[in-house]
Amino acid sequence: MPRCVSPLLFAICLLARPLAGQTQVSGVRDLTFGIVVAGVPTTVSPNDPVKSGQFYIRYVTGGRVRVRLTLPATLNRVGGGGTMPISFGNGDAFALGTSSGSVPNPFNPSGLLNYRFTGSPDMNIWLGGRVTPGGAIPAGSYTAPVVITAIFF
Amino acid sequence: MMSKSMKVAVALAAAMSLSAASAQAQSANINALANVFQAITVTGAANLQFGNVFPGVNKTVDASTNANSGRFDLTGQASQNLALTFTLPTNLDDGATHLLPIATWTGCLANTASQAGCASFTPSAGATNTTFSGASAKSVYVGATVSPAAAQVAGSYLGTVTLTAAYF
Repeated sequence: MPRCVSPLLFAICLLARPLAGQTQVSGVRDLTFGIVVAGVPTTVSPNDPVKSGQFYIRYVTGGRVRVRLTLPATLNRVGGGGTMPISFGNGDAFALGTSSGSVPNPFNPSGLLNYRFTGSPDMNIWLGGRVTPGGAIPAGSYTAPVVITAIFF
Repeated sequence: MMSKSMKVAVALAAAMSLSAASAQAQSANINALANVFQAITVTGAANLQFGNVFPGVNKTVDASTNANSGRFDLTGQASQNLALTFTLPTNLDDGATHLLPIATWTGCLANTASQAGCASFTPSAGATNTTFSGASAKSVYVGATVSPAAAQVAGSYLGTVTLTAAYF
């Protein structure tokens, strides 16, 4: 940070204050489908208190953030040998601030979320989805990453 | 030559540009996870057979010893936990409104289609927990007691026993 040695430079210092230190983006909980039977599609609602994925974002009250989720199209078998389609639709995600008056803000996780922090400087995003295992899919553990990218303004 | 106020305005405009350009991106990730299990199959392999029954004389078929026990054969994910629930009749009927009471259900669990060494349990609508064998198999034997009335009408009586199996 430049030294604010003059009134002019001080104004620049105020307006160019870096966002680092004010922001936090973290993964809280995996999206867990649990036991999935070959040939049987399985859905997890974003409202599921145990299985839904969860992210946490913190900024400042009044601040704005644009959120994008990078979603997998398949889960991959640990150790190789199989893949399983995963899909996300409208309403498979919602954002909710932490203040008492916050209401859920559902959105399509394949799109962008523009969010303004009102009433509190933080919020959570919950994610559901659907897997469609084939009838002959090999048994085992399947996984893929879900990445959240948040741009703060 | 730029006046002092003009210099301040230019500087502020530049600072605003810098401020707008300092929008910051951050990322984090979670995982999507699933455990794929082989589908469970349940086959009714043998009917529970009471054979000839006489009015006023109860007759029992014991699930753990009697060759006339009913049997279900299951296949699924090797060594995985399994919950069994039953829908059990309280009467057998002859199709002509005559009822033959049936109760006191018995069950026995085995890893093969043999009652030798099977584990006894009581079938009910509540879950009985067990596991598939390492060979992905399970056999479930069922027995019960029928109690014909002294004036039980002669005929063939029939009921349905339903087994539901699910991983847990």
